[in-house]
Parts: sequence; C-alpha cells; structure tokens
Amino acid sequence: MTSNFTSRAAVALVLLLLLGTAFWSLTTGYSADAALNRTAEYYAVNTPAETGAQNVVTAIIVTYRGLDTLGEVTVLFLTAAIVALVLGQSKAPRGASGSGFLPSGELLQTGTKMLLPLILMFGAYIFVNGHLTPGGGFQGGAVLASGMLLLLLADPGKRFRKAVIHRVESLSGLFYVLIGLAGMAWAGGFLDNRILPLGQFGQILSAGAIPLIYTLIGLKVGAEFSSILESLEETEDA
Amino acid sequence: MVSAIFIIAVGLGTAFLLGLVKSDQKGFAFTLTVAALAVMTWIAYDWTVALSRGTVEPATILTAGTQPPFAINLHIGLAEAWLLTVINATGLLAAFYMRAALCRLGKGAMSVLLVMVMALSGLVLTRDVFNLFVFFELIVIATGGLVLLSEDARAVAAGFKYLVVSQIVSILLLIGIIFTYHANGSLNIDDIAAVPFGLQGASLAMFLVLMALVLELKPFPANGWALDIYESAHPGFSAIFSAASGTAALFAADKLVAAAGPAWLPLMTVIGLFTFLGSNVLALKQDNDRRLLGYSSVAQIGLVFAIVGQRDILGEGYLFVAGGVLITHAVAKAGLYWISGLVPGRGLADWAILRANPVLVFAFASFVAMLVGLPPFPGFYAKWDLMHALAGSGRFWIMALILAGALVEAGYMFRFFGYAIKRETQERFPGFAVDKVAVVVAALAAGWALGFVWGGISLNPNLLTLVPVLFALLFIVLEPLPAWVKNIIAIVGLVGWFWFRMGNYDPLQMIFAAVMLVGGAVILIASFYEHGRRIGFYVPTMLMYAGLALLIEAQTSFDFFAAWEVLTIGSYFLILRGRMGEPHALSYILFSLGGAFLILAGFALASTGVQPFELKSGLSAIAEASVPAAPWVFALLAVGFMTKTASIGLHIWLPGAHAEAETDVSPMVSGILLKAGLYGLFLLVMTMGRQKIGSIDLTEVLVWIGAISALLGGVMAIFQEDAKRLLAYSSISQLGYAVFGLALMNHVGWLLALMFVINHYIYKSMLFLAVGGVYKRTGTKLMYKMGGLITLMPFTFVSVLIGIIAMSGVPPLSGFGGRWLFYNAIMASDLRLPMVLIFISGPIGFLYLFRLIHTIFFGQLKDEHRKLKEAPVWLVIPQMMFVLALLAFAVLPGMALQKVDAYIGTFFGDQPLVWSGRAITSTYGYWSPVAVMVVIGVIFVAVLLLLMSMGLNAQKVKQFNIVFSAERPFKPQTTHFAWNFFAPYRKAVGFLVMPLVTTFWGAVTDTLHSTADFTRRLYTGNGQTYAVQVLVFVVAVYLIVLGGAQ
Amino acid sequence: MLPQIAMATGFVLILMGLYGALTHRNILRMIVGFTIADTGVNVVLVSVGYLPGRTAPILDSAVPVADAATRIIDPVPQALVLTAIVIGLGVTALMLAYAYRLFRARHSLDISNFTELKW
Repeated sequence: MTSNFTSRAAVALVLLLLLGTAFWSLTTGYSADAALNRTAEYYAVNTPAETGAQNVVTAIIVTYRGLDTLGEVTVLFLTAAIVALVLGQSKAPRGASGSGFLPSGELLQTGTKMLLPLILMFGAYIFVNGHLTPGGGFQGGAVLASGMLLLLLADPGKRFRKAVIHRVESLSGLFYVLIGLAGMAWAGGFLDNRILPLGQFGQILSAGAIPLIYTLIGLKVGAEFSSILESLEETEDA
Repeated sequence: MVSAIFIIAVGLGTAFLLGLVKSDQKGFAFTLTVAALAVMTWIAYDWTVALSRGTVEPATILTAGTQPPFAINLHIGLAEAWLLTVINATGLLAAFYMRAALCRLGKGAMSVLLVMVMALSGLVLTRDVFNLFVFFELIVIATGGLVLLSEDARAVAAGFKYLVVSQIVSILLLIGIIFTYHANGSLNIDDIAAVPFGLQGASLAMFLVLMALVLELKPFPANGWALDIYESAHPGFSAIFSAASGTAALFAADKLVAAAGPAWLPLMTVIGLFTFLGSNVLALKQDNDRRLLGYSSVAQIGLVFAIVGQRDILGEGYLFVAGGVLITHAVAKAGLYWISGLVPGRGLADWAILRANPVLVFAFASFVAMLVGLPPFPGFYAKWDLMHALAGSGRFWIMALILAGALVEAGYMFRFFGYAIKRETQERFPGFAVDKVAVVVAALAAGWALGFVWGGISLNPNLLTLVPVLFALLFIVLEPLPAWVKNIIAIVGLVGWFWFRMGNYDPLQMIFAAVMLVGGAVILIASFYEHGRRIGFYVPTMLMYAGLALLIEAQTSFDFFAAWEVLTIGSYFLILRGRMGEPHALSYILFSLGGAFLILAGFALASTGVQPFELKSGLSAIAEASVPAAPWVFALLAVGFMTKTASIGLHIWLPGAHAEAETDVSPMVSGILLKAGLYGLFLLVMTMGRQKIGSIDLTEVLVWIGAISALLGGVMAIFQEDAKRLLAYSSISQLGYAVFGLALMNHVGWLLALMFVINHYIYKSMLFLAVGGVYKRTGTKLMYKMGGLITLMPFTFVSVLIGIIAMSGVPPLSGFGGRWLFYNAIMASDLRLPMVLIFISGPIGFLYLFRLIHTIFFGQLKDEHRKLKEAPVWLVIPQMMFVLALLAFAVLPGMALQKVDAYIGTFFGDQPLVWSGRAITSTYGYWSPVAVMVVIGVIFVAVLLLLMSMGLNAQKVKQFNIVFSAERPFKPQTTHFAWNFFAPYRKAVGFLVMPLVTTFWGAVTDTLHSTADFTRRLYTGNGQTYAVQVLVFVVAVYLIVLGGAQ
Repeated sequence: MLPQIAMATGFVLILMGLYGALTHRNILRMIVGFTIADTGVNVVLVSVGYLPGRTAPILDSAVPVADAATRIIDPVPQALVLTAIVIGLGVTALMLAYAYRLFRARHSLDISNFTELKW
C-alpha cells in the first residue's frame, strides 16, 4: 500500500511539474498592461453615464455581465436544491437530529439575541450600498446567512420556517428574472438597469435597478445559504 | 418571433417558481415543468423553422442594452436553432420519461432539470467566453444533481468522480479565460476570433481553454468518469447527458475552435479520431448495455469533433455534415437510452425482451441504422459529403480511420441488435409503460423526419422520396395485414415496377432487372406457403428489392451507393431472420459494410470530391485520362463489389447466411442478391477496362480470384453434409466462374458472365426451394439423414434433377451452353494456369451435385420418412416455372443473349459469335441447342426403354429383407453411405479446405477484442485515477503541441 | 513585479491543491485540496487585472469620474473573480454533500473504495 501511495505521489509530482512549466511560462510571459484595455476603458469611461453606479465592479456584475450573475445566483440555487436532495434521501428521523448536542451556553444564546438584529442589518446595508461602496448582494447575503448560522449554533434543535426561506428564495429569484425581462420591454435589453431612473450619481437611490437587483440577490443568497445550512443540520449525524 | 433569451428566462423563471409550489403538489409541479420545457422547445423550433425558410435573419441578442464586447451577447443562427431544438426537445421528452423519478424526488429535482436544459441552451447561445464558463458550471452542478435520479446506488460514486474531474476542468478553463482576456482585452468570442491564435505565444491561454472544452467532450482515454455516469444514471438522464450535453459541449468547443483559428484544427482532428477509434474498439468488450451505449456516445462525439477539425475543407457544407452526424447521434442515442429503461436486465441479450413489441424492435433497428450512418438518415448524407471533401483534399488517412472506426461501431451495434432478435433472456417481461414507449416513438419519428429533412437539403436525391423506397416502407404500415395479402402487393409491386421501367433499360440493365425484379416476384410465389402475418419479413425484403431496382438505374455514384446500402440493410434483416442466423447475419453486414465503405472511398477518390459524379462517363473519363488514382479506384470498387459476390477471401459470411436463411429467403439472397456485386463489377470493367498498379494488371488478378473461387468453392461444397450449405458453397464457385468470365476482358467472357447471371439465378433458386421443401418435410438439412425420397417427392426430384443437369453443364440444358461459351472464352485468352483451375472445377461441380441428388432421393428410405408428402404446393409452383424456363432457355438461348451479344459488341467492336437460326457459331465450332436437345432426348428415351425392358425380370424385395449383424453402431450416421460421402477425395484434396480465411478473419476480430479487454483496464473505477488521467491527457497533448510547434 | 509575484503564488497554490487532491485518498482531503486550488485560481484571476500604481475601481471622491480611465485598475477580473468564488463555493458544497452520502453508504471516505463502476 505504501509503495502504491508513493508511486501515485510520484506520478502526480511529475505531472504537476510539467503543468507547472506551463504555468511558469504564463507567469514569465506576463506583463501588466500600462493602460486599461479597451473593455476596461469603456467601463471606466461609460459606467457613470450608462448605469449611474459609483462602483464600477458592481455595474459590471449587475448590468454588463448581469447574465453571469444570474447564472451565479442560479448556481447557489441549484446547490441548495441538490444538497437538499442529496441529504434529504438520508434524512434523520424527525426530532432525532440535533438531540445529541449539548445545549449551547448562556453566553452564546444571549449574544445571539443581541447580535442577530445587528448582523441582519449589516447584511442589508452591504447589499443596499453595493452600487456605491465595496460590497453587494453576495457579500450581504453571506452576512445574512451567518446570522442564521449563529442562530443554529445557539439552538441546534431549532427549526427555521422552511416555507418562509423557500418563499423568499423563489420570489427573489423570480423577480430577478422578471426585472431582466422588464429590461427588454422598457430599456435596451435583458437585465438593462435603466428601467428605473438613474437618479443622482452617488446617492443611495440611484443607478436604476441596481440596488433593487442587489437587494433581491442579497435576499436570495441569504435564503440559499440558510437552506443549505438547514439541510446540513437536518442530517442524522449533525 | 419570440426572442431566444426567453428560453433562458422561462427555464430559470419556472425553476424559481417551483419553489412556491407546495411540496405535496407534485403533479402540479410536474405539469409546470413540462409546460415550461414545451414552451422552450417551441421557441427553439419556431426559430429553426423560420431560419430555415429564411423568413427571419440570424439574430444577436444584446443584454444590458450595451453593445458587445462590453456586455454579454447571445447569438441565434441556424446551427444554434437546430441544436436548441434538439436540446430542449430531449429535455422535454426526458421529463415525460422520468416522471416517476422526478415526482419521487420532488420539485427540487424538477428545478434542477429545468436549470440543466436552460444552461445547455445558454451554452449554445452565448458569445462570451466567461459566460460560457458560467453555463458550464451550471451544467456540471445540475448533472451532479440529476445523477441522483437513479435508483442505482453506484450513481452517487459516479457523480462524485464527475465533480472531481469538473474541478480540474474548471481550473484550466478559468486560467485559460483570464489570460485570453489579458491577451485580447475582450471576453467576446467574436473578438477573439478576429485575431486568430497561432500555436505559440499567447496560445497557451487558448490551449487551456480548448483543453478544458475538449475534456468536457470526454476524450479517450480521459473519460472513465463519463462512462461510469452512463452506466449508472437514470436512462432518462443518460439520454440528456449524451444527446443534449454532448451536443451543447460540442458546439461550445466548435465556437472556440473557430475562434482560435485554423492552426488548431489538426490537433482537434487527432483528438477526435483517437477518441472515435479508441472508444469504439473498447466498446467491443462491453456486456453492459448502458456502458456500451456510453462508449458509443463518446466515440460519436469524437467523430463529430474530428469533423470539426475538417471545417477548413468542408466550407459551406460544414453545418450539413457536422450537424447531420451530431443530430442523428443525439436522436439515436437518446432513443436507445430510453429503450434501455424499458429493459429490466442489463445484459445485452436481455434486450430480447423487446420482441414483445415490434414497434420497439423497429425503433431499435432505426436507431442502430442512424448511429452507423445508414440511409435514409442524416448521418448517411453527412458521411457521403464528408468522404468526398476528404478525398477532394487528399486526406486519405482521415478517411481510412473514420471508416475503420465506423465499421467497428457497426460491428458491436449490429451484434447487439442480433442478440435482441435471436437470443433468449432470463428476465421476465414486465410489460412496457405506455408513456415511456411513447417517448421512444417520438424519438423514432424525429429520426425519420430528420432523414427526410436532410435528404431534402442534400444536393443529392432525397431517398425518402424515391418510389421503390417508399413502397418498401409502406409495408411498415401494412404489417397488421395477413401475409398473403402483403405477398400479393409485393409481387404486383415488383412486376409493376419492372413493367413501368422496362422501356428505359439498356440490354444489360434489362437482364439484371429481369432477374432481380421479375425473378424476385417468382420467388415470392413460394412465400405464399407462410401463414399468419409474418411480421418483419416484407419490409426488409422489399427494401432489398428497392435497393436492387435503384441500383440498376443508378446514374450517379451517389445513386449507386445509396441503392447499395439500402439493399444491404434489407438483406441483413432478412438473413437475420434465419433460424441460426445471428452470427452469419453479423458477418454478412460487416463484410457488406466494409465493402460499402471501400466503394464509398472508391467513388470519393474517383470524383476528387466533385459531386454529382456521373457513374459511367465519370469512371470512363478517369480511366481514359489515366489519372494516377484510377487503378486504386478500380481496386477499391472491385474489392467492395466482391464482398457481395463472396469471392474467395471475402466469402466466409455466405455459407452460413444462405444455409440458415428461411426457405424462401435462401433463393433471394443467393439467386438474386449476389448479382448486385456482379452488376457492379460489370459496370467497373465496362467503364474502366484494364487498370495496372505497377506492372500488375488488375483484371488478371480478378481472373485469378475468379478461378480460385470457382475451384475452392466447389471443393468445399463437396465435403458438406448439410444440403443447403452445399448449395451455398456452390454459389461461391458459380460466382467465381462469373467473375472469371468478366475479368477475361473479351467478348465471349462477358457473354458468359451474363449467361451465368440468368442461369445461376434459375437453378440456384430452384435447388434452394427444392431443398427447402425437403427440409420442411424431413425437418433436417443433413443429407445422410435422408434417402429414397424420389417416390415421395417426385416434383421436387424433377426440379433437382433438372437443376443439376443445368448447373453441371452437361447437355442438353443451358448449363452446357454456358460451358460451351466458356471454353470459347478461355480459348480466346492466354492465361493458362487459371484456365486449368477452371477446367478442374467443372468435374468437381458434378461431384457435389451428384451427391445432392443421390443421397437425398436415391438409396434407402428412412423409417421415419415413410409417410412424407410432396413439398408444399406453393414451393413446388415456382420450381416448375423454373423447370420450364430452363428448358426454354436451353432451346432458345438466343432470345435473351442475342441482343446482349450485340450490346457487348459495341464495347469490343467485334462479333465473334454468329447467330444463325437456332445455331450459334464461333471460331472454335458451333452449338445448336435444338439439335443437342433432340440427340440427347433420343438417347435418353432409348436407354430408358432398355432399362425398363430389363426391369421386367427384376424381383421386388422389401427394404429390410436383408440380414443384420448383431452389432449396434456407436454413431449411427457413420453407417450411412451418404455420410462423409467423398472421404477418399478428402484425403486427397482436404488441404484445400483448411479454413485459412476463417482463421484469418477470426484472428483479426480476436486481436481487436483482446486489445479492447486489455485497454479498458485503464478505467480502474477510482475517481482519483480518473483525475490523474485527465491531467496526463492535458500534459501529453501540451507536450505534443510544444513538440509540433517547434 | 507585484502581479507576477501574486500570480506565481496563485499558481503554486493551484499546484499544491492539486497535489493534495491527487495523492490523498480521503475524500474530505481531496475536497480541501480542490478548495486550495480554487483559491489559487482566484488569486491568479485578480492578479491579472492589476495595473501598477492605480486604485480600486470605485468612482467616489478619491477618483473623479473624468480621470477614471487613468486612475483605476481593470475592474473586469474583479467582477469575474466574484463569480468564480461563488461557483467554487457551490461546487464545494455539492462535493461535501456527496461525500456525506458516500460515507453513509459505506462508512468509508477512501476514494479507492468506490470502484464498482469500471471498465
């Protein structure tokens, strides 16, 4: 067995060394551009006028490459659905899960009660301001879900209202698609953010539909992470 | 028109919407899913129709209201629309098919299915390379989910292996993408295409992108993970995985290969061909149906990828060829996976259960034909065009490898089909779910419709509009009718077509048409003896005749080849019907397809890729211009045709195929089918004449082949115990004579060959029917188990007697005329040694024929045969017609031959035979059939009277009025005089019948099989090993590219 | 030089991660290996967008809109890396769920125990 292991390691090592030479030539052949390439320059110049967003990255994510982002949200949606399928087939008997845990301490429970509203608010802040400052729907959603995780840690036996999570997940996704289609009807194309007025540059209510989309993404991501956590928590060994 | 982005929006929106449906409303969730998929399919189909008709222009769909490359854009053109239709329709049908599994897992699984189909559509539509990555990952994750639909516990492990490999793929893809972006300043595929990548410099980025996409195509040998999924997943999903995922991934790769520039095409060709050949060879050893289909799937995608590598020479035909193969494969493979879901067992022979439902058998046959690229399906037209393009640009190796791979694939697919038709299964018939059968039927209908569409787009004739083919297919609808009704329709059809076309035939065509069509009708009279509905007999029979009818009238090389394939398919199914026909039908189809591929290559080479290629004038032209390829064309075509004439070396399929066939099928496949090869050879020598490779005259090679076939066929025939096998071997010998005559390249030789066409048809059909009648009554074909049947089956005896006289070439029947012409022909030639062989074959023919009549009809009658009756009347009627025809032909050979003689004269410009009244004169003497007949008649009557007068004094005893010894023989048959009848000869010439050829072909297949068995151990089943293999593949290709670039 | 260093770090991470994934038979360790490799990919992605001496692509008071084209780094890789991170996370979650399922089936996490499907 050991010999098998080492031969495998040797093969892997040789392979990766060869792959490494390819990477090496990529690195040595790389030189940073002196100026922005034409795509980046277009974004730098036109983002304010076209999308009204201060954060160029957000403009790219939500608008110019909005289709990617829709796909990204779908990745999480899929993962949540499949994790539920994978784990759902080996679900623990009702009421049995989590029972093996020691109750969490007083500190954690009290802390959770105090921190949870703040965490949720912080998450919301991050995604609402995504078009202005670093951050956005994914980051905000992850923060929301961390609140949920805290809740689970504080009370392992707790059950979320599954229906609520799923409804949030579905509705936010559905609205996201509908906003995209609205872009086709009332603006330049699928996921065009100019269905709403661009407003004044730098204000919270600006950049057309970007804050709206990021809010939906935030809710959806939060819901999806929560539902993955929930699926994991429901397994027998949890 | 609805924008194509709605395919994505509807799929995604519905997937999200399903979350709002209550968990227990599974029926509603399912309805919603199906409705969404239906809408998506409809949008795609609508675009396909509109783009095909030209009512809309290909559209670019912008997102975010910004021009590319600054925002992601999608594009829908004809290719995209077609593939979207395939993908979405596959998804829709698969949803119906997997209804139970989807409802078991709930709405989550339905969402995953919707996202899967949506992502596959997105992969096809997008023009942005990073967006491509996103859709890829969606597909990966959705695949990971849908694998769980399977009830096979092993599927989980397969899914995990898939995820491991996908991780590596996505790492390569992302690095490739970001460096491509850095080099180009754009993620838009069209932008990347504007600056083609060479194989060096920035190309490493493009290399990584391409490798990632190639890995998704499951290249051999880095594809163990895919095969595991194919084997263990739900068959409904395997259909998506093969038909939809494979198709989308291929299109994605195609997009980027096009963008990368022509420098990359050879690499893609090599990877594609390697995969095509490797997977097909490995499939030979598979005994699990789904894994076998998986190998075939991988191989087909490899083939299409090899075609992608040919896009530089395919020009405008690129979509027609690549799309034809790709879409046919998608439909066929989806259909086959769906059928596999109806079969409870996983062994190949377990598919025998399908025989409970003829529709499924028809579907199976159609899907196999689609995969192998047989007419009338798109793959056939595509293969034709592809080979012409390859020949036109001198890519002969690619041609050879593609054809070799296709032959291997045909081998295991037809073997699989043979199992289903002939084997028995232990599984209990579970009853087929109606909805699943309906899904299979939908795929079946789609396949045929595509055949019609592709035929329509093709520059060549649409086979599904040709009257003979349609007439044959009509019998599919007529199947419920009783056999006798169908038989009448078939006979009327054959004679009617002949009548209708008669005016257009030249004398040569006339002879072949008379033998094939009218002759076919006469043999069909015998088919009246069958009762019931005889399902599955008339469609192949009429397909064979349709092929023959079209073959005779073929104007272009395409016509000829298409007809050739049609008649091959028909006759294969016909031979497969025989009692022990399975292995023989397989070797028949393999030799035939091998031959057909050679013919295809020959035609492609001859035409140098220019279509249409007029058969006669074209071949003559290249012979006259003596282009360097001409002798090779001749050789390829000749060998191809000789697979049908079963010349020595290519004959091993014939004895079994003819001997095991049904009573009325044996004469069809012997008396008629073999003539197709002869017709081809006729055309060849007529148009191309003598061709030389080096200093070897190819017609002299043919002379040798003919002579050896005549001799060895005869020698092998004399040692047969089985009467039908004896006749079968005799066909090899007889056709050898014909090839010999043809290759002599003189007037009388050709005339002789033509005379053999008629004679051999008549007496071989007659003898097969006679022996078939005996077999019907005695239940055996072994001659030593018979004897003394002369009094019980007098009519049969008469026809065998007449047949033998005619065939052995003794006076007074037409065989003698044949001999006479024959000796004239060889006198005119100066090839002495083959002449000697042919002379020897004459008496050998007499030996086996003597055995036939002697052991069956003379000698002692067996106890168990005392109450036998004459053969069924429907078998006797055509025999008596043949007897009359033989007598007439013997007296008046002039009626058929004189015109032909004149026709042949136009080729040689001579007229060696003088037809005066009823006599024919040559330089070596004259032949007066009537005089010969009269003389023989007188002698015969005189001897008969003499014998009868002597018989008056004979004493009659009972058969067993003899003394037995007390011994009981250990092997009773060894005491029968007919057993091992020619033992002394076996001692003398037995070395001639050593099965050298059989051993040779056996060794070929054994080598392939053991290679397959050895190589497939690469797939250890360990996910980590698979990951290593994937990396080895990438690194190996990288090193090759590096080496190639320097 | 900075981008090259970052890039080399990323590549080393990828190779290390792959080495782990290819040599450890324990499924969880394989997943960890792939996570490391994914991180490496993300580092490489970000390093490609870097332009020396420039700042983040946010047009607030620090970067006037008019000078944006000369002051900010390439925003595209940053957008891409976000997508890549999320996708990597999704795949990792899925692999973990699969690992759980495999463990439940056989009470083993050794990848070489799941080879019923082969040849």
